[in-house]
Amino acid sequence: MKHLRRSLWAFHLNTGSCNGCDIEAIAAVTPRYDAERFGVRIVPTPRHADVLLLTGPVTRDMEQRMKLVYEQMPDPKVVMVIGNCGATGGVFRGSYNLAGPADRHIPVAVYVPGCPPRPEAILDGVMKAIEKLEEAKA
Amino acid sequence: MKPQALASSLKKSLGNKATAVRVERLVDGAKTSNPVFRIWLSVKPAALPEAVGQLARISPDPHFSVISGCDLGKAIELIYHFTAGYGTRLGESSVSMRVALPKRSPEVPTITGIIPGALISEREVQEMLGVKVIGIPDQRRLFLGKDFPKGVYPWRKDASGPGSLAGSQRKGGPDG
Amino acid sequence: MASEGVSYEFSVGPVHPALKEPLRLDLTLEGEKVTAVDFELSQVHRGIEWLATGRNPVQILYLAERVCGICSICHMLAFSRAVEAAAGIEVPPRAQYIRTVVAELERIHSHLLWAGVAAHELGFDSVMHYTWRARENVLDTVEYLTGNRISKAMVTIGGVRRDFGDKQLARIGECIGFYRKCFGKLEGILLRDRIIRSRTRDVGVLTRKDALALCAVGPTARASGVMKDVRHDEPYAAYQDLDIKPVMPEDVLGETRGDVYDRIAVRVHEIRQSADIIGACVKGMPPGKIRHEDKSAKILASLLPVKGEGIGRHEAPRGEVFHYIRMAGQEAPSSWKIKAPTYSNLLSWVPMLKGAQVADIPIIAASIDPCMSCTNRAVAAGGKDVLGNDALRRLSVEKTRELRRSGG
Repeated sequence: MKHLRRSLWAFHLNTGSCNGCDIEAIAAVTPRYDAERFGVRIVPTPRHADVLLLTGPVTRDMEQRMKLVYEQMPDPKVVMVIGNCGATGGVFRGSYNLAGPADRHIPVAVYVPGCPPRPEAILDGVMKAIEKLEEAKA
Repeated sequence: MKPQALASSLKKSLGNKATAVRVERLVDGAKTSNPVFRIWLSVKPAALPEAVGQLARISPDPHFSVISGCDLGKAIELIYHFTAGYGTRLGESSVSMRVALPKRSPEVPTITGIIPGALISEREVQEMLGVKVIGIPDQRRLFLGKDFPKGVYPWRKDASGPGSLAGSQRKGGPDG
Repeated sequence: MASEGVSYEFSVGPVHPALKEPLRLDLTLEGEKVTAVDFELSQVHRGIEWLATGRNPVQILYLAERVCGICSICHMLAFSRAVEAAAGIEVPPRAQYIRTVVAELERIHSHLLWAGVAAHELGFDSVMHYTWRARENVLDTVEYLTGNRISKAMVTIGGVRRDFGDKQLARIGECIGFYRKCFGKLEGILLRDRIIRSRTRDVGVLTRKDALALCAVGPTARASGVMKDVRHDEPYAAYQDLDIKPVMPEDVLGETRGDVYDRIAVRVHEIRQSADIIGACVKGMPPGKIRHEDKSAKILASLLPVKGEGIGRHEAPRGEVFHYIRMAGQEAPSSWKIKAPTYSNLLSWVPMLKGAQVADIPIIAASIDPCMSCTNRAVAAGGKDVLGNDALRRLSVEKTRELRRSGG
């Protein structure tokens, strides 16, 4: 990526995670990692978001909510799964109360593996998400 | 209050309503090794509120932690986990009251009249084991969602367990 | 703003797991005040206790660790203690000290995280950035010691997985030196700011009577004058060698009101207490083995025939963590019950929120430290008025600004 052409507005949705990924994602916007210098902003509604940041293994109760949030996002949009749970179920794989992984229900463009991934890895994922968005626009 | 004395008082106040009263002594610590005490007793379901009441009388404001439950086949065993004697260094003992419920009609009276804080746990054992808590002020499910199938009890090991809902790990195949 | 009898659904989440999150708080309002409180917890139920019935105790350690990402070592520790109790395994003294150090490092990270979240709910984002930046020091230290910032994986059945050499001990010394130095600043920012005090004094009160009846734990209970602290009441690990006096508002503020301010005070002072505990552990670290048995396969082999029950408790940053395990002579346990601290503190929301103003909902909800409060949505029961995530927080921020304008 040569330069960032656009800023990225992200909506964060926890689909039942242990919070590990969520706190590292939030750490990514605090001064040390400072995602905001890349134009990344966490927004309060999916209607303003370009990227959906998903954490968690998608519990039964969160499946519908996740789909609804995805539908509410305007195009072009990308989904980024943070952590192992959203990708494979993680340690919770096999549970009776899970509807995941996330890509069973919505298209996922970027996976940031880890349990939890470091803020640097999350930022790296965000950069890839921006690339994907640019592709989607083109 | 010393754990032995606490156990004796409980046994005395409940008579034959409390059985298998024992004080387990464990050792914990690093350089100093002070004992940790766990009092275990069994009570009949109908006598549970009385047992809790006696505990509260002997050691005021007992702390209620949680109810654990186990499907033992023909019976469901609930263990009500309390601690008594907070606030004094090395002064706390755990008191666990075991209640065996017949699986055909697993009913137990509520203790929220004495320990309002037990409500969360009572709601949980209802939905997880299919236990009926008589007099519970709130019948609703708590941790299982509205769409979770009725008649499936996650902690049960019989046909009403959650096995059929489990994912690929159990089935040994890919998700789907 | 709110009409009479309008019912608001308010989402506070993610919150402490095993507590299942994101949580939904349903609040009924009359005018500007809360009259009824209810909650829905099914969004984060992952069936952890059931998953364990198909795994062995060593595997379960890593499942336990992910009950909560914020107090991960707490669940590993309480679980281990329960298994060790059931199996009669003695943990070597050095391992007990290492466990204690890691647990207290986790307390520092957790309380700083909470302070940032609480500040955010009040509209003090700069304080959030400051506390989370300050938190990076303990995370770096934890990474140096264990290889990871968040999931430390330090506890194993019968001991700990990594030793502390001289370099590690020196690094720990630097870390607590940092926090001892910045404690004064933290105290000033969080406890002596007149606006924070205005927003939190006599707000969200939990009386001592209610705290006892509802079996509240941790800083939530201590702030209401209930001196419950597992490290003091039933000491374990290195806590048995130390004289831990639970932090109470009476001692650090001179009085107890059981409000949000008291909860902040207890947590802030516990950061300093943790630094002291860690210092004492480093100083008095006993030599010797760090595990009762080195090889996992041997640990598992020794656990296989065990038939028995065990209880393991730990004072996590939020309060008592309780694990019960029942082993029946098989690879997997036959029963496992986890109780997270927020499980015990949930019902306290009811008396705390009753009579509260809408603008105070975020900070009151956050004050029990339900692992992490980030307001999701508030929807009026009729579905007409949707208060976005930001909007409820904006009410709180606006109230802070009002106070500043009017001179506090």
